[in-house]
This record gives sequence, structure tokens and C-alpha cells, in this order.
Amino acid sequence: MINLKDITKEQYSLYVGLLTVEQKDSLILQWYAPDCYFNPIQDINDNWVISVEEMANCTNDEFMWVKDLPLIIYEPKPTPPL
Amino acid sequence: MIIGKAISPFGIKRRNGTANDVDAQAFITASGISGTEATAVNTLVVTLKSANIWTKMKAVYPMVGGTATTCKWNLKSPIDSNGSYRLVFIGGFTFSSTGALPNGTNAYASTFLIPATSLSASSSHVSIYNRTAGSGTINDWGTSGGSLAFSTAISLSGTAYLDCYNSTTNRIATANADAKGFYIGSRNSSTSLKLFKNAAQLGTTNANASVGVASLISPLNLFAYNPATNYSNRQCAFASIGDGLTDAEALAFYNAVQTFNTTLGRQV
Repeated sequence: MINLKDITKEQYSLYVGLLTVEQKDSLILQWYAPDCYFNPIQDINDNWVISVEEMANCTNDEFMWVKDLPLIIYEPKPTPPL
Repeated sequence: MIIGKAISPFGIKRRNGTANDVDAQAFITASGISGTEATAVNTLVVTLKSANIWTKMKAVYPMVGGTATTCKWNLKSPIDSNGSYRLVFIGGFTFSSTGALPNGTNAYASTFLIPATSLSASSSHVSIYNRTAGSGTINDWGTSGGSLAFSTAISLSGTAYLDCYNSTTNRIATANADAKGFYIGSRNSSTSLKLFKNAAQLGTTNANASVGVASLISPLNLFAYNPATNYSNRQCAFASIGDGLTDAEALAFYNAVQTFNTTLGRQV
């Protein structure tokens, strides 16, 4: 299992933190750093995930557990046409 | 007995004895910036007022200070409220002295500005200063409602797009190899829609009529569409929303913003 401590900043965009549904629900409308809020999204396999930036930059004591989330390769849903 | 400090309506004097513009000072105080950044913001405000552009702005985001807490402020109304169009950053960002960098995965900023109530079908603009090119299918600005859209998507596979209240026949789609630069999408009448890049118009004027903004009741997002998709991964060093700009005003606006970013050593 890959964790935050295993990757470099240059690799942030390749990975996301995997959430359970309960964890996703707990993050909605919650801040991870001053004036910044969590945004759980679903990947192409409908996994709930957050970005590595949200994990690494989290300073909210209530949610420091996000730093220990398992990382998975990010596979985005197809973007809609412009 | 005097309690607290009175703030002069004429601004606060700088070391050289001249006072900052009152609106600039309000932003400087709210954001807590100082030094070169404060000086650059003051010069920007003074220049925009001199060019008669200031009154056309509804939201101006200088993206200074290097944190979310400093980048969130609207220079036009530096009050920490949704009604003042203060940004709320959602998802993963990296902030630095050169601007705000969304991650391209799930990051955007909500402006809380609703086109249906705050913008006009015959006079609107958005602008963005992209310091990096980014990659993928990106909306720099966006919202939608029914068949209407108000969005910019700069340099998607070498093409820049601009929609402004009639995405069926009103879209500008024009070749643009490099996404870096300062972009202004401006509707200056119901039948004139233009996209500017730096000091020049990009592509041709679209003269099809606007069909109104009434159905655009969702807030305009910065760095994504609304509903949130097409996330940007470009670093932003300035953005604005407001009334439409003439060709001359768009040029003056570019010059002011370019000078601002050059002063801060982050121009492209």
C-alpha cells in the first residue's frame, strides 16, 4: 500500500487518497486548511477520493487521519465536452 | 478618551508621504499584504480608476500574499462574505507568491457571483492571467443553466473557446497554441463578443445575438465549470469579472495587469 510519505510532490497529480463512504460523508463542507475545503470526488471506478494536496496540506486537527489514507492511481471520469 | 484608531477616508500615508488609494488600502488591510505587493495593488487600483475601468469591475482577484487567506479577497469589495464575492477554495490548491495553482483533479474556487442577478446580457467580461499552460480539457471560468453557458476554455488542444450567453451560435473558437497569458472575454453589446489575449484580439468578433442570462442562476466558478468539471491545472496570477470592455479598455486593462504582475516579478 502506498502512503503520502512514499511519494514526492512531483507525483502528487498521479495519486489520490481513497475514502470509504463514511469518511467521504465526514469531509463534506469541512476545511482542511484556512479558507480551503475538502472536495471528495469519484474516480472512473466510482471510488470516493480526495487529492494528495488536501491530504498533505491538512491542518485541521479533526481530520489529520486523511494523511494516512491509502493512495491509489488517479483515473478520472471522462470530462464532458466543452 | 480615544478608543482604537481612526482610519482616514483619504487613505493611509506611505513612507514617501503619499496616501494609498482608499479602495487599495481596504484590500491591503483585509489581506494583510505589505511591501511591494501593497505598492503594486495601490498602483493597479489607481491605474484602473484613471482608465475608467474600475467602475466596470464587480470582482477583482489579484492573487497576492501566497496563501488562500490572502488570495481569497475581492479587491472591489474586500469583505469576508459571499455577497462580496470573496473566493472559497474547494479541493487541492498550492499557493505561492506567484499565484494560485489548482491541482487539475478536484480544485476550483466559488465566486458566489450569479450571472443572472449580477451581469448583463449586453455587457459582461471575465479575465484570467494564466502563468502556466496546463493540460487537458480545462474551463478557466464557467457556469451553465439550461442551454446557456458563460465560460472560457483556453487552449484546449490548441483552441481557445469563449461562450457568453448563447453557446449554440455565439461561441468563439479560435486557434491558440499557448495557454499562457492574460485573457479577457468581453461582451460589449448584445451582438459583439470578443476574446482578447494580452494586447491583441484573439480570433474574430462573434456578432450573433446574446440570448440573455436569466437561466444562469448558478455561481460562476473559477478554475472549473459549474457543475464542477474540467478542472484547471494552470497557475493563476489575476482574475476578474465585470461589465463588458471596449477594445481600448481591454488594452488598458491588459497594460495595467501586466505592469502589476511585472512589478511582482511573475509576468509571462
